Amino acid sequence: MIAFVGLVIGVVAGLVLQPTVPVSLQPYLPIAVVAALDALFGGLRAKLDGMFDDRVFLVSFLSNVVVAALIVFLGDQLGVGSQLSTAVVVVLGIRIFSNAAAIRRHIFKA
Amino acid sequence: MTLLTEVMNHPLDPGYAEAARARELGTRGRPTVPGRTVALLLAAALGLVTVVAVQSLRAPSPSIVEARNVLQQQITERQDRADALSRSIATTSAEVNALQSQALAEQSPSLLATVQDDTVASGAVAVSGPGITVTVADASDAVADDGTVDPDRRVQDSDLQNVVNALWAAGAEAVAINGQRLTSTTAIRSAGSAILVDFVGLASPYHVQAIGDPDTLRSTFAASNAADQLKVLGESYGLESSVATEKHLDLDGGGPSTLQYAKPLG
Repeated sequence: MIAFVGLVIGVVAGLVLQPTVPVSLQPYLPIAVVAALDALFGGLRAKLDGMFDDRVFLVSFLSNVVVAALIVFLGDQLGVGSQLSTAVVVVLGIRIFSNAAAIRRHIFKA
Repeated sequence: MTLLTEVMNHPLDPGYAEAARARELGTRGRPTVPGRTVALLLAAALGLVTVVAVQSLRAPSPSIVEARNVLQQQITERQDRADALSRSIATTSAEVNALQSQALAEQSPSLLATVQDDTVASGAVAVSGPGITVTVADASDAVADDGTVDPDRRVQDSDLQNVVNALWAAGAEAVAINGQRLTSTTAIRSAGSAILVDFVGLASPYHVQAIGDPDTLRSTFAASNAADQLKVLGESYGLESSVATEKHLDLDGGGPSTLQYAKPLG
């Protein structure tokens, strides 16, 4: 519960403060957003499954974002940045879809 | 395949199941106050980062917008300047013409008549009279839905050249394309995908106006190669063309042409 409260506070703060992102971090943003979406859907599904846990949610969220950014960084250094980004998006996309399907089954029972 | 199966069948982080088991067994300690504070702060930071990332991805890059604005501003400024200059050219050349006529009328009326005939023939001054308008336009499907342009289905500079040549051959005394008067130094050519007449870019449809005897112009033009060519272009590529008789046409002057190197003989 406390994790959701914190997230909402962070989202509101971001909307109000409108900070700017340093240019050097720009390439990591798209992947970080996809990773964050994955963690959010995972958390929502766990909540509906009755298994939600603040610590697991936060750690998975943080590690998702960091690992995704790290993969893009490594890919850029090795010259395969776009391919690795695609790989990350495919894997996270499948997970988001599966979790969204589970959430749908919970809500609509279908 | 194992990876994909794993991702498909167990999309939920295994940590959740483990934590739930630990809670059931009671092996997990109650969350402490500092622990909850850290969790709250971490969650807030993650929410902030995500929202900021989303916002900066949605906003168009400010440098691009700025560069675009600067370019737009420059274009309008230069266009205004060009318009003002061409207006001043028009007034000045009208003044020059008036002064010239005035001066010549007193000294040598016959020379004035020659000058006036020459300026009309060279296209320097505005003229009016009966004539015909030949309209040529790109095929309606020249630009596909996805924005690609089929150059074969557009009017080419050579098409316009043929039409204009046929009109001259049919006895036209003054010709203009979309208001651009053809003078003794006017070229019709293409630059990229645009057709330039006297260095002014024109767009389809192209109205070629010619002053002369409408009946002769019409019949001679209809019998010319250019008319045949337009027919073939219409059948093969969908270019649209039409000929209309005009009782009265007003053609602007092309302005005095400035010759820098050519000098009269003797």
